[in-house]
Order: sequence, then structure tokens, then C-alpha cells
Amino acid sequence: METTLTPAPAAPAPTSLKNTPMLKLLDIEKVYQTDTIETVALNRVNLTINKGEFVSIMGPSGCGKSTLLSLMGLLDEPTGGVIEIDGRAVTSYSDKELARVRNHKIGFIFQSFHLINDLSVLDNVELPLLYRAGMSSKERRQRAQQALERVGLSARTRHFPSQLSGGQRQRVAIARALAGAPEIILADEPTGNLDSVMGDEIMDLLLSLNREQGTTVVMVTHDENMAHKTERLIRFFDGSQVS
Amino acid sequence: MIRHLFTLIWNRKRSNFLLISEILLSFFVLFVVSSLLVSSYYNYRQPAGFAYDNVWEVNVAPGQDTANRKEMMQLMLQRLQATPGVVAVTRTSSNTPFAFSSMNTNEFYYQKKQGPSTDRYDADDDMQKVLRQNVVAGRWFERRDDASTRRPVVVNQEFAKAMFGSESAVGKVLTNDKGVASWQVVGVVEAYRRGSDFDGNNPAIFERRVLEGPDHLDPNDRPVLLVRVQPGSGAVLEQRLVKEIQAVTKGWHAIVNTLDESRHDKMKIVLTPLVALGVVSLFLIINVALGLFGVLWYNINQRRAEIGLRRALGATGAGIGGQFLGEMLVVTTLGVLAGVVLAAQFPLLGVFGVPTPVYVLAILLAAVLIYVLTAICAFQPSRIAAGIQPAVSLREE
Ligand SMILES: Nc1ncnc2c1ncn2[C@@H]1O[C@H](COP(=O)(O)OP(=O)(O)O)[C@@H](O)[C@H]1O
Ligand SMILES: [Mg+2]
Repeated sequence: METTLTPAPAAPAPTSLKNTPMLKLLDIEKVYQTDTIETVALNRVNLTINKGEFVSIMGPSGCGKSTLLSLMGLLDEPTGGVIEIDGRAVTSYSDKELARVRNHKIGFIFQSFHLINDLSVLDNVELPLLYRAGMSSKERRQRAQQALERVGLSARTRHFPSQLSGGQRQRVAIARALAGAPEIILADEPTGNLDSVMGDEIMDLLLSLNREQGTTVVMVTHDENMAHKTERLIRFFDGSQVS
Repeated sequence: MIRHLFTLIWNRKRSNFLLISEILLSFFVLFVVSSLLVSSYYNYRQPAGFAYDNVWEVNVAPGQDTANRKEMMQLMLQRLQATPGVVAVTRTSSNTPFAFSSMNTNEFYYQKKQGPSTDRYDADDDMQKVLRQNVVAGRWFERRDDASTRRPVVVNQEFAKAMFGSESAVGKVLTNDKGVASWQVVGVVEAYRRGSDFDGNNPAIFERRVLEGPDHLDPNDRPVLLVRVQPGSGAVLEQRLVKEIQAVTKGWHAIVNTLDESRHDKMKIVLTPLVALGVVSLFLIINVALGLFGVLWYNINQRRAEIGLRRALGATGAGIGGQFLGEMLVVTTLGVLAGVVLAAQFPLLGVFGVPTPVYVLAILLAAVLIYVLTAICAFQPSRIAAGIQPAVSLREE
């Protein structure tokens, strides 16, 4: 083998991080086809989310925000267009690789929390780590504990979701998203089921995550105040981006 | 992941309890059915202890005239024995091979110990020549037994084991409940499973008693003869035998049929309840299977959101299917374990006198069947679970 003097490509400088695309949607189209109706949920959406950004998405109900998030989260496939993660088109991923990307890179937060009621808070937070090969149960436990500390719920590990308030449940869901140390958090109306005080707590958590850990956050919200706290606001109307 | 499954199942113990009970119940039904099947097969494989081929059973109906009956009987036997094509003739009680009639007694004692419930057969010196019981110790009855003061008996190994344990049975004296010595064992035969191919190996005793005085021959007694004939004998010999009997006895009726026919008839009758039971339990099992299937189906529909969530957190479709199969495997194992504990009481308590290996085999068989059953029932629902679209199931709530 011959050695050449070509230098290795330089690692991107930290300052340029904000301009590195994390997620790219190119000409995305999503059509839901049922027996009788055809719904165009997304129409030619072009969108780039950069690493470290906090983006909020607003728009009337039914305009396709949730659809957009599930496409970004690789939970569904677009009927047209290309999604790129870290510069690689998602269409080339196998089912197994998709699951791996979801597990390692993406954290989900839902309006209705989606906690498993028959699992304790700690077991719920451990869930994403369960699908991570080669992690010891001790490490799982530790990371789940840390994530719960981060959201201020370390005293509630043995509780079950039904014993918690709405705000606490959403914090558990955030801890679950954090436990896997994702690069991007996709939050679909995370404060939609909470009163304003609890909603603000959740918003503060997401903001600090973004600032302190550099986690990319994409959040769907109906709350103008919250949307204005983020660095970028995208408005949707009827399946298309309007601003 | 396995610990996770146990946690899930434990936390859902209330709903799983029903499922486990259902599995426990079906395990038990399967265990009972397989015990029956296995023990029937086990019996079937045991030596019959006698030969029924080329043996004919002759049922004689004497006329109203009771004079000289004993002489006529003896004459009849002699004439039959002398008939060409006949190998040997024995006169016995009505509990012939494959007959429904049976004689059961526990009148025998040995050193104050009461014997087991025993099948008793009337026999004579020639019976062994006809039925070819396999004598494993001592001898069959002989002419010299006429001189014996106690009535000679031959027992089977099952009786010898129950009565004398490891001691040799030959020469042992049996008494009645008052301790009066009446019988002496002269020989031991291997077995005598004459009821049907599926009968167990019960204790049996043969008494040499046919050549007794006429008092034994009451007017309603219908003599039964067993005749061993040359292989290949047919209708010609049959007619000849009937004619000989009529000639000697001046008109007694006789009906001849082969033991082979009796065996087939008996087999049909013994198999009927077994088949009926099999059919009933088959329906039961189908019912259980549908129940399991329904519960699993319901479970999966209840847990669609959970499935979507797990997919979002990094589970593959196959992983989801595997999780549901795994949960079912654990639940089934819990049900089967409970069932085994219950079923093990049968051999431990020794009820029904079925040998332990039969129970062990039946337990194994039932366990295998249950696993196959639940695997079949869990397969389709698990596939459905694996195919659930995460985006769709997550928005359903
Ligand atoms: N699985 C589906 N099948 C058919 N139509 C769907 C499905 N999911 C969403 N839609 C339709 O797509 C459109 C966008 O839905 P959604 O993304 O949930 O909007 P939003 O989150 O902005 O309220 C709506 O008209 C909705 O009815
Ligand atoms: Mg929505």
C-alpha cells in the first residue's frame, strides 16, 4: 500500500456547526390515500434544519404539522421527495437502519405523552436504551436516573404514570427522549395538554437543552409566545410552508 | 429485554392472570387426554401373555335335561379333542378372552395380608395348551394336581409381585380371610391381559376347578370351551365341531366364533369412548385456541399506541413481533409450570394406579401441545403487531 501526502479532511470548526444541515427535506410530498378520499397532507415542502437550531412550527389544525414531524422522525415515508439525515438519503436505509437512526439520533415528545402505563417512570425512561445493543442494565439505569434528574423528577422513579400530573408526565417523556442522548428532538405540541404554568416549565426545559447541550429541537406549537422564544419560526398552511 | 418482558408481565398481572388460567386449564385438559392416550398405548405395548390366533370359542347351550350332565360334558371334551384339526380343548368360565364377562375378587390372603383386587379364571390342565400362557416360574396344572389337598392355582407376575413382593411365588399357600389355607401356587405366568389390547396388566389368578363334581355345574351354567385348531382351519371344521357336540349330547346347541373376531369386536367398543373423548377434547382445544387468539388480538389492538411508541424509540417491526411472541412464551411457561405442579400430584399421590412414566410422558406431551397451540395462536397477532404503522398508531389517541 502506498502512502500519499494528501491531508485528511478537516473536522468542521465548532463555529460552523450551526450551518451544518442535520435534516433536509427536498420537495417532500405526502398524500394519504384511502378508499374514497385522497388527502394531500404536505405539498412540495423544502426545509433544512441545521444542527443546534431550535425551530418552531405553527399552523392551523390539519395543515400537516404532525405529518411533517413523523416524516422527519422516519416514522413514515413521503409519497414524493427526499429526506436526508446527515447528508444521506433516507430511502437507502433498511428497516433495521431506520430503527437504529431513530434510536440513536432522534428523540420524540408527543402531545399525549405516550407513556406506557404499566411501566414505572424509570422503566419508561429506560425504554429507548433497551433497543440499544450492548448496553448493560446498570448503565441503562444510570442514564435513566440522570435524565430524570435533568427534568427534576429523580424522586418519582418508582411511580407509575397514572400517579403523576400532566406536567410531570411530559417531563418523564422528555427524560425518555433525553436518555438516548439524541441529536434532534421532535416535539409535537408538547404543551398542548398542559396549563400555561406547566407549559412554560416544559418550554424552559427544551430551551435549556438546546442552549446547554446543543440539541437540535423542532417543536410544533399553537402558542405564539412560545414560538417567539425560538430562533426560527416556520408557518404552515394547507400542507405548504408559508414563511 | 427478557427482564423487561417479565416486568411488563408482572405489572400486567391482573390481565395476564386470566390468560395464564386459560393456559393452565387447557394444559390440564390436554394432560388428562394425553394420560389416557399414553396409558392406552403403554398397555397396548405390554405383552398380552397369551395367544389368541387359531383359538375358537364354543358356547354350548345345554338342553333342559340335566341328567348325566357331567358325563356328557366329559364325553364332549374327549370327542372334540379327538377330532382331527383340533390341537387342544379347555373348559373355562365365561370370562374368556375379549368377553365382557369378568370375575373379580379380593378373597385371597397371604400371611394375614389381603391380596389386591384380582381377576379370577377357571382353568384346567389343558388351558395352557390352548391359550399358551407364558409360564415363567413353576408349572401349569397337571394330572398329579388331582392328589393335591389344596386347590392348585397359577398366578400372573402382577399378582405375585403384589402378594409376595420379591419372594418366589411358587409353593406359597394362600388363605381366606379366616386364615384357612385353601390354595397353593404351583406356577406363575408372565401376564394375562385378556380384556382388550388396551387393558392394563391386572393381577390374575387361575384356579384348577373344572373337573369337580356336578354340584359345580348348575343347570343355568353354560359351558364355555376354548378350542385351539390347526392353522388354516375353517368352516368345515366348525360344522364338524357343532355336529360332534350335538351327537354326543343329543341336541345341545353350540355357537362357534374365533377369538380374533371377538378381539376386533371388543376393540371397536373399547375405542369408541376413546375416540369420542378425543373428538370432545379436540373441540375443547379449538375453543381454547380461539380464546387465546381473541385475547392476543385484543391485547395487540389495546397496545397499538405502545407499539407505535416502541417503533419511534428504535424497535424494528420484527422486534415488536418478537416481543409479543416472547411475552406469550413467558405467559405460556407460567401457565404450563402451574399445570405441571398440578399434574405432578397424580404420580406423586399414585392415584388411578397408572405407572409414573405414563404420567411423565403425558405431561411432556401436554406441554409440547400447549406450546405448539400458543405459538400458532400468537403467530398471526404478532405478525399484525409487527406490521403496525408507527405514524398511524401514534396519532390514534
Ligand atoms: N393516516 C392518515 N390517513 C388519512 N389522512 C390523514 C392521516 N394522517 C393525517 N391525515 C390527514 O392529513 C392532514 C394533515 O394532518 P396532520 O399532519 O395531523 O395535521 P396537523 O398536525 O397539522 O393538525 C389532515 O387533513 C389529516 O386528516
Ligand atoms: Mg397534529
